[in-house]
Amino acid sequence: MIKIENLSRNFGNIKAVDDISFCIQDREILGFLGPNGAGKTTTLRMIVGYLQPTSGNIEIDGESIFANPIKASSQIGYLPEHNPLYDEMTVIELLAYFASLRKLKRDYFKERLDYVVKNCGLKEVLYQKIGTLSKGYRQRTGLAQAILHNPRILIMDEPTSGLDPNQIIEIRELIRELGKEKMVLLSSHIMQEVQALCDRIVIINKGKIIVDDTKDNLPNYLKKSRLLTLEVQGDNVDFSDFLAMYPFLEMEVFLQTETICKMGFYETSEIDLRKELASFIRQKGWLILELSTSKLSLESIFHELTEGEYSSAKTEVASPEQEEQNAHITSIDEEEQQ
Amino acid sequence: MTTVFTIAKKEYQVAMRLVSTYIVFILFLVVIGVFFSNMVFKIGQAELRFLFEMIHIIFLFYIPAITMGSIAKERQSGTLELLSTLPIKLSSIIWGKILAALYQIITIIFLSLTFFVIIVIFGEGIDYGAIICGYIGLIMVGFAYASIGVFASSFPSNQILAFVLALLISAAFYVLKFVLPLLPFRVLPVVQYLSFDYHLSSFLKGVIDTRDILFFLGVTVIFALLAQFNLQSRNLMQER
Repeated sequence: MIKIENLSRNFGNIKAVDDISFCIQDREILGFLGPNGAGKTTTLRMIVGYLQPTSGNIEIDGESIFANPIKASSQIGYLPEHNPLYDEMTVIELLAYFASLRKLKRDYFKERLDYVVKNCGLKEVLYQKIGTLSKGYRQRTGLAQAILHNPRILIMDEPTSGLDPNQIIEIRELIRELGKEKMVLLSSHIMQEVQALCDRIVIINKGKIIVDDTKDNLPNYLKKSRLLTLEVQGDNVDFSDFLAMYPFLEMEVFLQTETICKMGFYETSEIDLRKELASFIRQKGWLILELSTSKLSLESIFHELTEGEYSSAKTEVASPEQEEQNAHITSIDEEEQQ
Repeated sequence: MTTVFTIAKKEYQVAMRLVSTYIVFILFLVVIGVFFSNMVFKIGQAELRFLFEMIHIIFLFYIPAITMGSIAKERQSGTLELLSTLPIKLSSIIWGKILAALYQIITIIFLSLTFFVIIVIFGEGIDYGAIICGYIGLIMVGFAYASIGVFASSFPSNQILAFVLALLISAAFYVLKFVLPLLPFRVLPVVQYLSFDYHLSSFLKGVIDTRDILFFLGVTVIFALLAQFNLQSRNLMQER
């Protein structure tokens, strides 16, 4: 287990990472999400031992990485952002170089080489210079380098950037496979990727963690987490009375003709207003043509959480549900430490 | 320790693949050759001492040029991030880079053996001891310059600035011999002791003095430590 406690890093006056705490469990793929400049890469660099934190601690299995950095880094495989590699070397030379720096035994290196060449699909380019590789192959070489020594912990900064859709599927499959026996920390701003791969998601924005929860619980963090789509037929369709009863509800009209009105209500997942809505419509004597609910995608959750809509919602006179959510978020850090 | 050699070997192999390395080798041989032929065929002197002094001057430019990229280029391309997250000591990286430069220096010195062979064939009464000592002295001074070059490259800046800085520091040690006559008698021994030329000259005379070897090794170690300190300062990198 990797435990990150009160980690901060300043660059001059800029707080790139501001007092964050979270954990990565064994056999877990953790998605580390955030917009550009949120502090993702800085955090990853501190975990892998490249950047010195201003304050805070990082522990692997209860042992601080600062106490024995060599031991810590021997357990970590790291794929940095932009995937820097030695362009003048061939793929096999690079892998052999890293193997000897990691002091892998010759037989073990051969065994692992077969594994990474097979799984990363490097057979055709093994003797090609890295500088001449296509971006996809370059990314695979970086990944091969990261998993060459069979690390317990795999840390990847945007692993599928620059790959074509087929390659993305292959690499994702590989990551998923690796996640069965390793701790994987995956940073990304591609939502589908995180949605497809990760069990748990940490969202970071402006150096602070705003969400740390399982993928399925994410919608709970929002004021608007579900969309209730409604199509009614009737004269003088008007929902202002209904909205007056539930002031936190937001309505958006998609289509309105003389007799048909199509609209959407954004609601939280704790309350279900379908019953109330149906009886309201029956009371008015209108006809329901369609009533359906849909969960908001992770993408829109991400957008809403990081674009500040969430924080502005906090300052509004909040409904009890919202207050509960706010309390939940602020208590994440404490929960993690327990 | 094996890590140092692994890094040095890789750096050397990569350098020996670059066309520019060979261009520099050829230029070096041409420049040295011009001076050599002047000395041997016009003056008719069968010694290499003057040649060694020429090589020393060329080192002032050559060694900063081969070391300027050692860390600065890795930082620029991002591979330093990769390298410093491997389970290796920071000092191994620095010594690996210094050793790689030393390999190149030894290669270029080896090439200059051409002139030694010519002297052996055509010359008479050659002081072999002085020539062998001279080569050892050149390797020692090259080692110290390599360390200065890697130190200059460890600043977070670009390669050109690293080159200029390495040249300035190296030249400072070199030009001390010219300022000696201008100095008061009291500080003279101290400044003289710091002069690279002073220590090299006893090698060129054919004397191997442990103190001279220790001096060059001392300078090498000091700049290697400064380079390491440089990487760790400003909390750039974690200590290891």
